[in-house]
Amino acid sequence: MSLDSPRRRFEDIDWEAKRGIVLRRQTAGFLTTLAALALVFAFDYVREAPLFSPNPVLRDGWDLSQLDWLFVVSLALFVFYVLVPLATHRRMTAHYWREFRKNRAAVVSLGFLLLVFTLGLVGPLLVSKPQVELTQSYQPPVGLAVDSSVPLSCGGDVVDGRCHGSWQFPLGTTGDGKDILSLVVLGMRVSIRIGLITSFLIISIGATVGTVAAYVGGLVDEVLMRYVDIQQVFPSFLLYLLLIYLFGGSLLMFILVFGLLSWGGTARLVRSAALQRSEDEYVEVARCAGAGTGHVIRRHILPNVSGTVITNLTLLIPGLILFEAGLAFLSLGDPTIPSWGQTIAAGRSDLRTAWWISTVPGVFLFLTILAFNFVGDALRNALDPRSEGQR
Amino acid sequence: MSQHQRGATETQQELSLLSVRDLTVEFETDRGPLRAVDGVDFDVERGETVCLVGESGSGKTVTAETITKLIRMPPGRIVRGVAELDGRDLLSLSERDLRAIRGDRIAHVFQDPQHALNHCYTVGWQIREAIQVHEDVSDAAARERALTLLNQVGIPDATTRYDDYPHEFSGGMKQRIVVAMALAATPDLLIADEPTTALDVTIQAQLLDLLESIQTEYDMAILLITHDLGVVAELADRVVVLYAGKVMERGSVYEVFDTPAHPYTQVLFDCLPGRGRPLRSIGGTLPDLHDPPPGCRFASRCEYARKECHTGDQPPLYDVADAQTASCVYYGPGGDPDALRNGQSEGDPDG
Amino acid sequence: MRWYVARRLLWAVVATFVILSITWALLYVTEQQALTSIQFQAAVSGGDAEAARAAYEQQRGLDRPLWRQYADYMTNMATFNWGYSTSRGQPVTAAIADALPYTMMYSVPWTILTVAFGLSIGLYSATHQYSRFDYAATFLAFFGYAIPNFWFGIVLLVLFGVHLDLVPIVFDPDAPVFSLANARQLVLPVFVLTTGSIASLTRYTRAEALEYVEATFTKTAKAKGVSERRILLLHVLRPAAVPLSTILVADLLGLFIASSYLVEVVFGIPGLGQLSFKAIQNQDTPLVLATTLVGVFIAVVGNLLQDIAYTVLDPRIDYGDR
Ligand code: SF4
Repeated sequence: MSLDSPRRRFEDIDWEAKRGIVLRRQTAGFLTTLAALALVFAFDYVREAPLFSPNPVLRDGWDLSQLDWLFVVSLALFVFYVLVPLATHRRMTAHYWREFRKNRAAVVSLGFLLLVFTLGLVGPLLVSKPQVELTQSYQPPVGLAVDSSVPLSCGGDVVDGRCHGSWQFPLGTTGDGKDILSLVVLGMRVSIRIGLITSFLIISIGATVGTVAAYVGGLVDEVLMRYVDIQQVFPSFLLYLLLIYLFGGSLLMFILVFGLLSWGGTARLVRSAALQRSEDEYVEVARCAGAGTGHVIRRHILPNVSGTVITNLTLLIPGLILFEAGLAFLSLGDPTIPSWGQTIAAGRSDLRTAWWISTVPGVFLFLTILAFNFVGDALRNALDPRSEGQR
Repeated sequence: MSQHQRGATETQQELSLLSVRDLTVEFETDRGPLRAVDGVDFDVERGETVCLVGESGSGKTVTAETITKLIRMPPGRIVRGVAELDGRDLLSLSERDLRAIRGDRIAHVFQDPQHALNHCYTVGWQIREAIQVHEDVSDAAARERALTLLNQVGIPDATTRYDDYPHEFSGGMKQRIVVAMALAATPDLLIADEPTTALDVTIQAQLLDLLESIQTEYDMAILLITHDLGVVAELADRVVVLYAGKVMERGSVYEVFDTPAHPYTQVLFDCLPGRGRPLRSIGGTLPDLHDPPPGCRFASRCEYARKECHTGDQPPLYDVADAQTASCVYYGPGGDPDALRNGQSEGDPDG
Repeated sequence: MRWYVARRLLWAVVATFVILSITWALLYVTEQQALTSIQFQAAVSGGDAEAARAAYEQQRGLDRPLWRQYADYMTNMATFNWGYSTSRGQPVTAAIADALPYTMMYSVPWTILTVAFGLSIGLYSATHQYSRFDYAATFLAFFGYAIPNFWFGIVLLVLFGVHLDLVPIVFDPDAPVFSLANARQLVLPVFVLTTGSIASLTRYTRAEALEYVEATFTKTAKAKGVSERRILLLHVLRPAAVPLSTILVADLLGLFIASSYLVEVVFGIPGLGQLSFKAIQNQDTPLVLATTLVGVFIAVVGNLLQDIAYTVLDPRIDYGDR
């Protein structure tokens, strides 16, 4: 191995030593954002009404919920701790990218996920909540035609007794006339919320519990790990069922239940890495140099497990998205938020005539999960070369 | 073991036990094929010990594991060459015929005793498996044999320890068990790949003694792979020096130790502690085996390199002495071997 | 080792106890909420809030002291006195006993197929790494995992049930268990479930087996002259079975519980999942509680079995350490 090759990994880099100032700025940026958010939230809370109501930015029918607050916090965490480091450590980013690029399916998948992310983020600016409009029900997507007896009145051209789709509804409409394109875009909102917020919960709780268990040790360690044991045994799905039965379903609850019950694996991982690392020489050196425990955790232990944790998340998130869709399909989800599962359920009985209603969101769901899998696969190879051969 | 040395010279006209010719092995990698072993020739005679020497990455292990096709194929690929056991080429045998050879006539001992035994089975089970694969004997008879073997390799309390799992043994003991397993079918050739590297120094010595004693007892040839020249001095009859997949030098242990011919061998032996000259580290790195430069493989690190070292093929193995050959232009026509022995370069230093 | 198993057993009991207690607490909270709303409604409609409260408490047994309520609840749970299902007009335990065979009917073949296919495809992939089969298997695994079970189910039902008329659209609960009719109506659910669950098992098997295919002891076995098949079965699969048993329980069990809901609803199979689903829709509290708890018990027992399997499979396990 030649000396100048950029074989260093995430783990090998002593972040503090190299980019101390940048990191501190990054933390400061995150904290400032949090503080600003807290202020707005407090203001909102005191006034007991959303900040701008009616909302000037979002199209009609939307306002901020607790979920959105949580989402913004997760987004800030993502920006400051994933995007900023990637932007500042150019060489490292380039190295990862080279590794990642080897997997062509993963690159395409990443593109798709970016699209989903962007549309999910700005979706409410582009489309309004779809309204029931029975006159425009069962419009086929562009490029397709159905027997003109299917839609109540065809929005596009009618040729030979067949109704052709029009650009007014590029992906067609549902049985009660909702625009499927808007439904799909709004469904992306659900997916990215699940993805980001649960990641945020899992990483923050998992990392905290893991390091506390490793560093405090003794009884605390024992109790925390036993708790993780129980949590791992308990099927979150059933708890969620029980909770929606008792309190009614909401996306916030879904995310909280699954986010708060899925961090066990991460905690175990961080704990064992911390135990291992605390015996490592360079951590010793850092300690002797007067670095506090917090410093050691942030600078040495978290970067060390980041690869594995990120890879695990890329496997966990699609599972949760799939789960949410399933629950929404059973109408055990959040009835107020349009989601892919809901749309699939809505089109289920029309599958024979208006098959696109279930199929379009189904395909998007399928592609999203597939994309996560490919990206996770490539990320594992790029971030965690030790596990070569695992898929 | 000079008696083997003599025996080998006397029977030179006869068929060698193992005869490897022009062995060339490639591995498929992300960056294209990597030629790990390139045209290796050597022989192993009955009852003698031949040492394959070289630094890591020189192709020793691949050479040894290709003989009975233990390398994973793919990514490995035998490009050409033969490995004849009593004149029968092993590389062209069917998998079935080869299986009959493995363990029966050629046995292996690997570097890493910690992982050489399957942790799910008792050691007794694993030795019995080695016996019963080749011989249709009853469990009881196989057990008897296994116990004898365990005793022979120096496992105390063999009867009680027969049903213990590998994790209940120390590293040195595990390696003894691996040796016992290798002896199960009284092979003619034992290929031992750095059998002592992973062990403590005292345990190393014991294990080498064990190898020596079983060699005499079973009249077995040993192909020993090592980078430890102390081990070579102690056990070897003959030495084959590998570098970057090519044979650099071959000769009897006396010749190679007393008068190392090839510049690489000379540097290698200078690294031996206790030698006259101060320890020198070899500058430079191994050549890229994906796309080796023309000429001598050692040229980029050789302080005697001349112009012709950078062109053409690897120099052939020129005769140096009795049974000693070296792949270096200095021993070829027009070369002056004395220039090497005296430690002065005759080529231009930047060449 | 016996001591270890005993400890795990005790642990399972404790876990169950904790879970039951949490459930009780949740129920208690909701009852209090219901109580507040009843009082509120009574007050709004000009009635006597206190009287309404007392009546409700009496009816629900909430007038007992807290510890009594808790103790009674736990006793009922322990003695399988799980209450009466109003929506089905039968005791909860009877409803569960009725539903269980239908769940077994598809989950037994499903589990067998998943394990058989998952293991063999994974093993083959590991031994033929980077071959065309390996890539195809990986792609199939991704495909199976990514395709939403319930959506796949309804699409297949329309395709094979409606258009091709190969399978019945409506599940017939009266079909004899071992009959062609029953097999035909179970083919699709089993197929959909298997495609979904095979993926993770294949991937894990491949990864685990790969570790052992490349292990030194496998090479030792090969050098001994052991045949490929024997190596695969005894020297690769056997050690890989240890981590795989964990995955089997941890992964498949969760999937099992969730998928049974979706698949039973999609295909109209009157099993446990549908029972629970309908109970939620019908606000049948005892039945909801019982069906979810059955799931929890399955999970607890599964984990216990997994722990025990571990000790049987891996001789290296350090009993003191867990
Ligand atoms: S051939 Fe040339 S480069 Fe190679 S060892 Fe001899 S002198 Fe050195």
